[in-house]
Amino acid sequence: MSNSPSRAHHVQSFLMRESLVDKDVMKSTEAPVVRMLPEAHVVKIGGCSILDAGRSVVYPVVETLSRLLATKKLILGVGGGVRTRHVFSVALDLGLPTGVLAELSAADANGNAHILGTLLAPHGVVAIPPEMFGHLLPLFIEAAPGVIFHGVPPYSLWEHPPGVGRIPPHRTDAGCFLLAECFGCKSLVLVKDVDGVYDKDPKTHAGATLIRAISATDLERRALPTLPFDRVLLRLLGTSRLLKQFQVVNGHKPELIEEALNGNHVGTIVYADPRAGAEVRLPRPRERVVEASSLAEVALKPGIVDNERS
Amino acid sequence: MSWTVCSCPRNRDCCQFLKTNALTDLGDALISGSLTDEQLIAQTRQNEVISIIPDANVVKVGGQSFIDRGRSAVFPLMDEIVANLSRHKMIIGTGAGTRARHAYSVGLDLGMPTGVLSVLGTFVSMQNARMIHYLLAKHGVPFVEPAQFAQLPLYLEERRAVVFFGMPPYTFWHQNPAVGRIPPHRTDTGVYLVSEVFGTRSMIFVKDERGLFTADPKKDHRAKFIPKITVEELAAMDLQDVVVERAVLELMKSAEHCRSIYVINGLEPGNLTRALNGEHVGTVITAD
Repeated sequence: MSNSPSRAHHVQSFLMRESLVDKDVMKSTEAPVVRMLPEAHVVKIGGCSILDAGRSVVYPVVETLSRLLATKKLILGVGGGVRTRHVFSVALDLGLPTGVLAELSAADANGNAHILGTLLAPHGVVAIPPEMFGHLLPLFIEAAPGVIFHGVPPYSLWEHPPGVGRIPPHRTDAGCFLLAECFGCKSLVLVKDVDGVYDKDPKTHAGATLIRAISATDLERRALPTLPFDRVLLRLLGTSRLLKQFQVVNGHKPELIEEALNGNHVGTIVYADPRAGAEVRLPRPRERVVEASSLAEVALKPGIVDNERS
Repeated sequence: MSWTVCSCPRNRDCCQFLKTNALTDLGDALISGSLTDEQLIAQTRQNEVISIIPDANVVKVGGQSFIDRGRSAVFPLMDEIVANLSRHKMIIGTGAGTRARHAYSVGLDLGMPTGVLSVLGTFVSMQNARMIHYLLAKHGVPFVEPAQFAQLPLYLEERRAVVFFGMPPYTFWHQNPAVGRIPPHRTDTGVYLVSEVFGTRSMIFVKDERGLFTADPKKDHRAKFIPKITVEELAAMDLQDVVVERAVLELMKSAEHCRSIYVINGLEPGNLTRALNGEHVGTVITAD
């Protein structure tokens, strides 16, 4: 090793002296990925759609979750709900940038995490402080039937400026998605107040049809005016390696949460385009993971890919 | 079916309370509408964004390109930073470099997902930030972690510079790249986003090359220097390799503040000073 000005001290590795921006070098890093928590389900409990809707909606959802915790490991993410909308509107009025909005939104979701944690406390399921949540997640999941986190990804001041407007693009649905992808979880279920994704906004179109299953690219191509989840999920599915689909279910019919976690198709399944992203075939880590894959096979059967067409 | 209330049960008392207390029509719409509604979202840039720390400069000190070179490269740059303290506020972010490449290659082999590689990269850029911090400590320059960013304006006012680690704090929530497994938003991106969110007066990347070339000048001697270019022109060239992370170029298109970045050769004394003074040294890449 030399310390002359023209030479850097290098550690021997196959990426040594390589530019991590070089296209060929990046291709060489395509490799299979391990699943850290293949048995755990990530369940996102909507903020506006569930927690803000009051006791009549929340209590039945909590009852269902309590029952599920007896047999399943649950990672529960929550949304910030209407308080996040309000803080966004004040912050926007004050001219604050996207990163500050993202930083602020974590507080509301954290409050909701604590509300859900209070209701599930008898089961040993509590809201985990965000600073320790990621690193200690496998420990918590081993020790308790479930954990709760605020779904906000830790982008904070480092949130990406969106192309349009100033609202943070990576909100709580995205936080739950990215977590499920990184930890290789069994499934992601988004609990909302609608039966799934519709072809038109049923508020203004009486004949709106529920789309039971659709690929992310098809859904993006349709450019629907609204979606019941963060739009960025469609892009994230395009590069996901472990999480190839998620299901949107109606939490106002709480039995559907249970059905979805049992691998049944009861809402809208949005799946990664089979052609998108790198195709890496991984060994199935545990037998029970097959449930999630068989769900994908159901979704890919042409007959029910799109209700509207059938 | 209850789509009638979009994603928010706006007939509920709690929502009504916030709605009737909303400051603006836009506030009303945000409380009752959907955040996936592009027409609504488009209205959220109607107020001009404020600059939080408009008189500071963000300076990124490269990992592999700079800190890994050791004393011969780093000491003169530290002297130059100190000499500029009286005239310029500096938010100094660090790259990760060769140890991150080692950690990534070990991690890739063992099947680590991108989010875990992001954690590993964070640790290395943290080491580099600590070292730069100790070199500047006698001038009262503090090291700040993301959790301490609220104190950053005070430190800048009092001590004129701070050091932070460049890796954005995405950790397990890091997005996958389109190709490969390496985290796509690394230290260039993390440092760039600090400049964007605070609305600083400049974003200077200190590297070991004059600026942007048509190829990696370390490997291709025919590589031609590019003094000034837009992100669109750069994208059209479809270069095999570029001097900053591609994510920075992508984010610049959506940026509200940081629409231009400077890439300079920090091995040449005086370049940082000139860049801080607003002179065109190295390459300037602009969004417009």
